[in-house]
Amino acid sequence: MGEALALLQDLSLEEPRLIEWDWIAENFWEDIVPAIQGHIYLSFVSVAIALAISLPVGILAARYRKIYPPVTFVTGILYSIPSLALFSILISVPGIVIGATPVIIALVAYSLLILIRNVVAGIDSVPAETIDAARGMGLTQGQILFRVELPLALPVIVAGIRIATVTIIGIATIGAYISGGGLGKLIFDGINRNFPTMVITGAVLATALAILADLLLLGLERYLRPWARRRRA
Amino acid sequence: MGSILEVLGRPGFSQLLLTHVELSALALIIAILIAVPVAIAVRNTPIGATLAINVGNIGRAVPSLALLALALPFFGFGFTSALLALAALAIPPILINASTGLREVDPGVIDAARGMGLSESQVLSRIQLPIAAPVIFAGIRTSAVQVVASATLATFIGGGGLGDLIVEGFQRGDTAILLAGALSVAVLSIITELGFGGIERALTPKGLRIAQK
Amino acid sequence: MKNETKLIRAVPAVLAALALVLLSACGNVGGSSQESDSGGSGPTITIGSKNFTEQYILGELYAQALEANGFNVEKKLDLGSEQIADKALQNGQIDMYPEYTGTALVSILPYQKKEYPDTPEATYQVAKKLYAEREPADTMLTPAPFNDTYGIFARKEVAEQYNLKTFADLAEASPKLTFVSFSEFQNRSDGFPNMKKNYPALNFEDIKIVNQLGLRYQGVFQGDGDVGVGFTTEGQLNSDELVVLEDPKNIFPFYYPAPVVRSDVLEQNPKMKGVLDKVSGSLDVETMRELNGKVDLEQEDPEDVAAEFLQEKGIVE
Repeated sequence: MGEALALLQDLSLEEPRLIEWDWIAENFWEDIVPAIQGHIYLSFVSVAIALAISLPVGILAARYRKIYPPVTFVTGILYSIPSLALFSILISVPGIVIGATPVIIALVAYSLLILIRNVVAGIDSVPAETIDAARGMGLTQGQILFRVELPLALPVIVAGIRIATVTIIGIATIGAYISGGGLGKLIFDGINRNFPTMVITGAVLATALAILADLLLLGLERYLRPWARRRRA
Repeated sequence: MGSILEVLGRPGFSQLLLTHVELSALALIIAILIAVPVAIAVRNTPIGATLAINVGNIGRAVPSLALLALALPFFGFGFTSALLALAALAIPPILINASTGLREVDPGVIDAARGMGLSESQVLSRIQLPIAAPVIFAGIRTSAVQVVASATLATFIGGGGLGDLIVEGFQRGDTAILLAGALSVAVLSIITELGFGGIERALTPKGLRIAQK
Repeated sequence: MKNETKLIRAVPAVLAALALVLLSACGNVGGSSQESDSGGSGPTITIGSKNFTEQYILGELYAQALEANGFNVEKKLDLGSEQIADKALQNGQIDMYPEYTGTALVSILPYQKKEYPDTPEATYQVAKKLYAEREPADTMLTPAPFNDTYGIFARKEVAEQYNLKTFADLAEASPKLTFVSFSEFQNRSDGFPNMKKNYPALNFEDIKIVNQLGLRYQGVFQGDGDVGVGFTTEGQLNSDELVVLEDPKNIFPFYYPAPVVRSDVLEQNPKMKGVLDKVSGSLDVETMRELNGKVDLEQEDPEDVAAEFLQEKGIVE
């Protein structure tokens, strides 16, 4: 016991090593893979739900312009609430299940603004003449929407999806703070346990995931719009 | 509501607010001092500019928490560490916009200016920068709003700021403290957005503004 | 145009496929619930814990002990703060987690009095009673015999220079000292304001706020501050370089760790009490500091540290 204490006293003044590869090897399947899976789950489900909401709302807003300002206002307010705060507030809602749910709700809330804006912008970018021509050919409203407007709006919509996805992957890291799982768990646990290896593993993997998603969706965007120059930020 | 005001009236609150503003402002300034010169340096080389824009695009994807967390093992905890991470986060939007803005200046105008005998630095200061200014500034604005939001996370590496308040409110289950922190950040980011937006409008020559509409 | 139309048609199909694939990852999300492989065919108990080292260790200790006694255990050892853990307990997501008697009174239970009970036993009894009155009721089991309360520590040279042994000594010397603290301590009624109330002479030259547990120690070691506040069971406090100051008036509430279990779960599994009590009884301040130190200072895994300890004590074969 005395020996252990002496050893502890010596070690307490040493800095922990930056990356302990044995820890990574030992805990790969137990801690790291579930974190990656959890993170992908959180991100994809959130993007999917956000898209499912934003597409119809965006299409409606593009048609009936009056609802666009209030929609932008509400989603804008949601966007300006700091993520940490929104997560914390959601936890205190009675009946909320601890875990992925509050994180997904917040992530969806954050991405609505950008997605709806891009759906509207995309539909707006369809030239009026094209729609007239389609009408002239006898297409119904619905057919125009699905066969003309949406396909032409697709590049802009995908650009929005790209930004939303990258944002969501980023903010999902904070979700671990309210026990949402994901790569943020490695980061927070590492900070709490004074264990740089976990922190670096979580941070690097989260960054890699975000960049990967960004590049994949960028590829999709380019495929849909080979002629376009890069858009401004 | 009254209890939220109580929290705002705390002696410690102004320190948190000040630290938050300091972190954001300094990070932004550092980012500008790095990104703009780089963009200027590569403005006339297509490869360089494309590289800068690509780096910027990749940089934009990096999660804020990840970058702040990475600062911890390398730079330790505290204000400086958080500042470095936030500055790194602030660079991409400015770099992208500055590079794009300078590249998009009409080559014809630049040729004409050269033809009139202007030196490279005169072309830069009298033609390229003024024309690119609104775009560059839009990038600075985007970055500013992002930094104010990301600075909330500085609390996790001991950087201080309004995130401290949010974390405290959450840990103690005290909604007033939590909301005081959340609202302060929200208000700060709205002020930043509106403030920079106003400056941006002032910088955009009337002709361009109409064209942009 | 044909490409785009095909793409639009494909989107719902792709999303659906992705959803199916990702549902398999469902079990790995949020709360990192882990099935035990060595558990018996007995009833399943879900154990939670908050997300700092001592909590991970306590959670693992209780979980592994239960497993060795025929229970099937699921672990959700990252439930953030007591707010999250308590919520999970009340809505049945977990069956138990290690709480502290003082914390329960300060942050969870409807304890209205201004003063906290002045003995550890009284603190436990009040907490236990309030927990039992909840809907659904909880049982706070016998606490482990040590106090994990605020620990005020000073760097050794500083303690020697100003002859610091107790809080009273600290108050006297404070105008020349820098204090490294965290926001919750500064603002909680049982924290700094409590110190100031009991020792009005307390008036630090400077107070630095560092919210990360381990980082405050670094600050004091490195000289950014002279005195800091942590928790009495942290591994770092065993260091030769630090002196822990005494609190003869016991101004801080007592934070004895005790498992809090849903009463209905306990009723159905009365065997749990014996197992959990045995684990709690085997701990003390030195031991807890050592275990915490293994995780915080030597980067060992809480699971391994707990397993080793349980074997040493003969609680697990």
